[in-house]
Amino acid sequence: MNDDRTARVWTSITTQALAHGVAPDARHACYACAEALQATGVGLSLSLTRTPGRALPEPVIATSPIAERLEELQFTLGEGPSPEAAAQDRPVLVADLAADVNQRRWPGFLAAVGAHDIAAIFAFPVSSGGARVGVLTVYRAVTGNLSGPELADGLAYADAVLVLTLDHHSGLPVSSGGRRGFDPVDFRAEVHQAAGMVSAQLGVSVTDALSRLRAYAYAQDRRLADIAHAVVSRRLRFHPDGSVGAPDADDVADTNEGRADDSDLEGRA
Amino acid sequence: MNTLDQRVRDTFVDLADTLVDDYDVIEFVEGLATRVVDLLEIGASGLVLADHHGSLNLVAASSERTRALQLLQVHNAEGPCIDCYRSGSVVSCDDLSTADERWPRFARAARSAGFASVHALPMRLRDTVIGTLNMFGRRSEHLDSGKLELGQALADVATIGILHERTLRQHETVAEQLQAALNSRILIEQAKGILAERHRVSVADAFTALRAHARHHQRKLHDVAGNVVDGSLDVPAEPRPASGAVPPARRHGDSSRR
Repeated sequence: MNDDRTARVWTSITTQALAHGVAPDARHACYACAEALQATGVGLSLSLTRTPGRALPEPVIATSPIAERLEELQFTLGEGPSPEAAAQDRPVLVADLAADVNQRRWPGFLAAVGAHDIAAIFAFPVSSGGARVGVLTVYRAVTGNLSGPELADGLAYADAVLVLTLDHHSGLPVSSGGRRGFDPVDFRAEVHQAAGMVSAQLGVSVTDALSRLRAYAYAQDRRLADIAHAVVSRRLRFHPDGSVGAPDADDVADTNEGRADDSDLEGRA
Repeated sequence: MNTLDQRVRDTFVDLADTLVDDYDVIEFVEGLATRVVDLLEIGASGLVLADHHGSLNLVAASSERTRALQLLQVHNAEGPCIDCYRSGSVVSCDDLSTADERWPRFARAARSAGFASVHALPMRLRDTVIGTLNMFGRRSEHLDSGKLELGQALADVATIGILHERTLRQHETVAEQLQAALNSRILIEQAKGILAERHRVSVADAFTALRAHARHHQRKLHDVAGNVVDGSLDVPAEPRPASGAVPPARRHGDSSRR
């Protein structure tokens, strides 16, 4: 399997963190992304609210003054490539901001930007299905599309930011950036099904559920995929009181899938 | 025109009709996976797509059992769909009992899931392979060139269906469209999990309920799943007895429903 890109992206993030002598976080991912994509700046806006998909994301990180100003402008006006990427949950790639079609698309934003400081904007949702965490935006001073590999890099940095943000959200010491940072194999159907199940068990958003699952896997030193499998097989259940353990007796009877050999998975999140 | 020709023609007409509408990409590929099984008279089929990490992700399968097998295949980084994706050529194994050396874990898992043969066809866009269409047979079986051609035609239709979605949007690249299809699948898996937990049913039954609801209300599967995930919609789901062992009526106190 070709996960060279994943490895390269995480190495660049870890390198940024090491230079500052701290554990990697979303800020390092933004700086590494700016460098990899030769950006004038990179901005990150987050919407880790309890009601997913409602409020506009809020700017939290910018790697340059221009990025900071443009993030503020877009999310204050609620108009521009980044709010559109957040609302539609898809990348919005604008190779030439000054093109007529874009003037019609975001008249307020483009009037405020002026012609002087930015030529192209590429906004990537930081999300996994219904777990919508925010938008990562790359600002460039020159017009032109991202190349295929650059586009894939942008998506990979957005994935890294997702993981770092979820782990920060659940209070994890994000030393998990290295070995466990982003294991593509971990992002499989069962992980998403488990996120849905835990969201129903706890009455929280799938974003929070995913965050809880990752935190639990980390605390138990287990792979996320293994924890997800136990949840989907109904051998592991998250309780609103914070405990994690075997399912209720009637769940086991209901599904006929309960097994007694997973006591090592139980514990407190 | 013989019966198969007729069915093939009907299938392609149906698929073409679907592509004209504002269709749901996952519903489209799920339907295609089922048609592959019907037309080629094989045990099961599944489609995988490559993401920007270069990993293969399952986007559709004709049955949950194939789904598990596909996942295993991807987990272990071995098996026909990975070989097919890497080479861009058809990978066929008429008899899985001879494949232990080639794919030690996959061959064993496939046999224990009741499959005896496997064929993987590339989904190509010009010189890029975006994923594979995989077909599993219940018995050792050689697919003749006619069947392989038909399979390839269906794989090509799948490619068109995935990449043509939202063609009207400007500046969309292949990578974005693949991303959209994969993300849609994730949303659906999350919705399945929520319904499975809420109604105490299997994820397979939760999927059946989601699809039935989307069809009944003529909505996109993606949109229905989105509503389930954001909490604005509940979809009733009931457990379905395992096929082949359907009792006339469930006995009182029977706790063995799946």
